[in-house]
Amino acid sequence: MENRPLEYDYTVAKMFMLTTVLLGIVGMLVGVILAWEMAFPAVNTIAGSGLAEYTNFSRLRPLHTDAVIFGFTLSGIWATWYYVGQRVLKVSMAESKFLMFLGKLHFALYLLVVVAVVGSLLMGITTSKEYAEFEWPIDIAVVLVWVIWGMSIFGLIGIRREKSLYISIWYYIATFLGIAMLYLFNNMEIPTYFASGGIGSWYHSVSMYSGTNDALVQWWYGHNAVAFGFTVPIVAMIYYFLPKESGQAVYSYKLSLLAFWGLMFVYLWAGGHHLLFSTVPDWMQTMGSVFSVVLILPSWGSAINMLLTMKGEWQQVASSPLIKFMILASTFYMFSTLEGPIQAIKSVNALAHFTDWIVGHVHDGVLGWVAFMIMAALFHMAPRVFKREIYSKSLMNTQFWIQTLGVVLYFTSMWIAGITQGMMWRAHDEFGNLAYSFIDTVAVLHPYFTIRAVGGTLYLVGMFLFAFNMYKTMTSSRRVEESELQNASPMGA
Amino acid sequence: MFHWLEKHPFFFAVAVFLTIAFAGLIEILPNFAEASRPVIGTKPYSTLELAGRHVYIKNSCNACHSQLVRPFKSETDRYGHYSLSGEYAYDRPFLWGSKRTGPDLMRVGNYRTTDWHENHMKDPAAVVPGSIMPAYTWMFKNTADIDTAYAEMLTVNKVFKTPYNTELPMADGSKATVKMAATLDEAHTDALEEAKVIVADMKDQDVKDAVAAGKIPEIVALIAYLNSLK
Amino acid sequence: MDISTFQAYAYFFFTAFMVVVLYAYIYHLYSSQWKGKRDYEKYGDIALHDEITDQPIEHVSQNDDKK
Repeated sequence: MENRPLEYDYTVAKMFMLTTVLLGIVGMLVGVILAWEMAFPAVNTIAGSGLAEYTNFSRLRPLHTDAVIFGFTLSGIWATWYYVGQRVLKVSMAESKFLMFLGKLHFALYLLVVVAVVGSLLMGITTSKEYAEFEWPIDIAVVLVWVIWGMSIFGLIGIRREKSLYISIWYYIATFLGIAMLYLFNNMEIPTYFASGGIGSWYHSVSMYSGTNDALVQWWYGHNAVAFGFTVPIVAMIYYFLPKESGQAVYSYKLSLLAFWGLMFVYLWAGGHHLLFSTVPDWMQTMGSVFSVVLILPSWGSAINMLLTMKGEWQQVASSPLIKFMILASTFYMFSTLEGPIQAIKSVNALAHFTDWIVGHVHDGVLGWVAFMIMAALFHMAPRVFKREIYSKSLMNTQFWIQTLGVVLYFTSMWIAGITQGMMWRAHDEFGNLAYSFIDTVAVLHPYFTIRAVGGTLYLVGMFLFAFNMYKTMTSSRRVEESELQNASPMGA
Repeated sequence: MFHWLEKHPFFFAVAVFLTIAFAGLIEILPNFAEASRPVIGTKPYSTLELAGRHVYIKNSCNACHSQLVRPFKSETDRYGHYSLSGEYAYDRPFLWGSKRTGPDLMRVGNYRTTDWHENHMKDPAAVVPGSIMPAYTWMFKNTADIDTAYAEMLTVNKVFKTPYNTELPMADGSKATVKMAATLDEAHTDALEEAKVIVADMKDQDVKDAVAAGKIPEIVALIAYLNSLK
Repeated sequence: MDISTFQAYAYFFFTAFMVVVLYAYIYHLYSSQWKGKRDYEKYGDIALHDEITDQPIEHVSQNDDKK
């Protein structure tokens, strides 16, 4: 034992890589089913009318969002944490039996929660709050998983060799703290079974907040769950993987630090933009609007930093599909962080709110930025974790173009659908009557729903290619030497 | 000072936390007392309505239907008076929704009837040609969970002082009282009485038979809830 | 002073405070570079030289004492 040189231990990272791929496919498959249901309602009873309760749009919709957020994305965050964390702190998990145990416990509990969530959502056990649908027993388990992750972060930091924390670690810490605070406050609920002395179902609970307050807390959570789940940890990834893969240090480390504090300060204020023209106080709505626009600065700070990191090395974008994924991801990041603030402007929001444009915005962010970055991270990790080269470069390129086409079809069709419907809702004829009945504004969307479903399906096809490529990399690719793993990842034809 | 912070992960985490927590403190907490006062005419839900609300939530109706009328002419023309904060005082959780794949339901009780809902939930496209809403046939078979509704009623009454068994002023100057049963059995009896009123306007023989036999199908509770949205 | 006035003051002063801190931070980042105290850009190399056998950019504790 003593003679073997110390190595990074990726056991836990591998486990989370597996769930990233699996839950990614599950979440996106459910999404594609939903998309086809909206275009062709007959799909709702695809498994027969006896099972319609479980294949129906409304029952599957929370499963789609939660599988993508808490399945795919969260697994991706943890897979990269258990990889990047060790490397930039220069300490191996093999050095601490305790941290190793925590990591495995983390994964095991997480799997339990995933099973409980899938089961309960299919049965219709939900609190109805978006991205916080889980009833109290699952909430407690989630908190436990989160605490274990926190112990793992600070445990690893505690035994580090590198004194300074690399910028990615900053972002991981912020993810941990942000979600912890938001999740706790939004899920304050009282189990009715205990409060009423043992009547009714044991898992049911009632929210601590009512009406407008509940909405305020929910969207403070909802918006910032996006911030600390879909932005902060993904920025953590790109700050590590893009420099490492390209062999170029971050263009400006100082800018990355500044963008960090800017983001931390501004992001939380922006949640109010989900509630414009609702019954929350006016000054809060205005502040939500203003801060959403200010938010462009720190977001673009990071994104531009990434693009400038490639300065003088743009030939790599052409030659490496892995770099392509990351550059497209940061481009989509810039794009959706510009689109978001535009939608938060009050007059635009009056039109866009409640329409498919919002759905489009979410998806260009998640498909274009989050998922592309997570897949790139996994592609970069695979050769180092499995000690084999990436199975096929051409397959990666194919996947890249199929998925890019999918995203483009998705957001363009949703833009048109959203703006069309928003305009039709507010149209009046010359006598001041509403020009269209509601169903008119639904019927007109059919072609766009169909295009969106095609776009989503293309993206899912790409996910299958990704899974296949990863599987082949893991099992049958050429073995590589340590020396090939310095920067650009080795890829087979 | 800055460099010191960067080298001390614990204090660094504290600084990050303070930065992100501050917005929440200022924005959210102090508003609580103000926003939850009910406007005149707002009543808490009855047992059957609450059970119907649970059916609404169970099937994520809020994924496609909002319950928030914004103060624009096009919306008040279509859905009625714009929403007031106090109207939601007894909504736990809120059901504003975030997407209008279907129309807003905030005041659906004003312009849709029991038999309209019955036909529509069975086959939406038959009532509204071109509708993309799926049918909800299982609601005609599943039994509504009155126990849990009653448990929730007891809970909100005990913990949040939701005014059951209390005279409340209505918009037209009259008074109204929403009853909370003293026992679970009484709650069942009350809910069944409410259900019989709804079922009188329905056509589905299985549903009628079920209620006659003392069972309340989900659809009856849901319609009771939808009718209460005004 | 009612709660909304307090909110408004708290909001204003905290925002002003954060802006000052942020500018001070920018000054700090650049001045430590001019004065040669610390070049922040070197931390970018943490990602590039991250093998467990690589020398850390800055060692934990021991190095501080030697300086």
